[in-house]
Amino acid sequence: MAGGLPHPLLIMTELNHALGTHIPNHVWYTWFGMSVLFVLGFIVSRRLSLVPGGVQNLAEIIIGGLEDFVVSNVGEGGRKVFPFMCTLFVYILVLNLMGLVPGFDAPTANVNTNAAMAVCTFLYYNYIGIKLHGAGYIKHFMGPIPALAPLMFIIELVSHISRPLSLTLRLFGNIRGEEIVLVLLFMLAPLVSTLPMYFLFMLAKVIQAFIFFMLTMIYLKGSLEEAH
Amino acid sequence: MFFLKGNKETFDLLGNAATIGTHLVASTFVGLGIGWYLDKWLGTEPWLLIVFLCFGIAAGFKNVFDEVQRIQKKDQGKGPGTNENKSED
Repeated sequence: MAGGLPHPLLIMTELNHALGTHIPNHVWYTWFGMSVLFVLGFIVSRRLSLVPGGVQNLAEIIIGGLEDFVVSNVGEGGRKVFPFMCTLFVYILVLNLMGLVPGFDAPTANVNTNAAMAVCTFLYYNYIGIKLHGAGYIKHFMGPIPALAPLMFIIELVSHISRPLSLTLRLFGNIRGEEIVLVLLFMLAPLVSTLPMYFLFMLAKVIQAFIFFMLTMIYLKGSLEEAH
Repeated sequence: MFFLKGNKETFDLLGNAATIGTHLVASTFVGLGIGWYLDKWLGTEPWLLIVFLCFGIAAGFKNVFDEVQRIQKKDQGKGPGTNENKSED
């Protein structure tokens, strides 16, 4: 639901009524987004050809472009962690764009979906750091000057904990805001006002997915490289 | 994506600009939260709250500083020619 405003139509609410279940809407929509991705992945992997065409072409452009971007920023070590980031990007993109389909709501407009992804990112980059550096990972928290190490440790700890929080809130705020604007405009002037907004929000939603992806990349880069 | 090909740098910069603000705010609130719960746990109101709020603000500024350093490094890496041109002007 967009900020308590009455949504014109939500398919999954009707589905809940029909099935007599009490599964929250955003979970239904997340499942739907996941199944879309599964089906797409299945279709692409069934008919691989040397000369890509159709869906395979699109998938190759997205994934190949992102991989080039990651490798040029992180270095060759980025290839190892690329699948995680790419999955996040595609997943968030699908969930974000789902908010623009009539009858659907973006699951990322709910803070729980975002928190789950942000916590996953947090745990993953720390896991990679510990796996790669062992106990030396703590040097990442110490800063360059030994005398200031205890102070820097606390500051770094706070700034690391704030990362999942800022990831969550940025995505949540942007997507939720867009949903509210769309519902309000739909109430004021159906179709005439919402249609132009679709183009703006399509761009904004892609940017938000990309920002989440890029921040994950920066954090992973921080845990992959040696302590300064 | 169709526009990811040409202007990756624009996207990159857009992302950087969008992250700075939230980093600053989120760190402050995390510091505040840690202080609040430590105070509740240890019963030392209000000292740890104040101390950790200061740590949170410091962490926020450190985040912003790191971010700016990263942008600057990327700018310089783009090409030495642009920097020299600037100094000549």
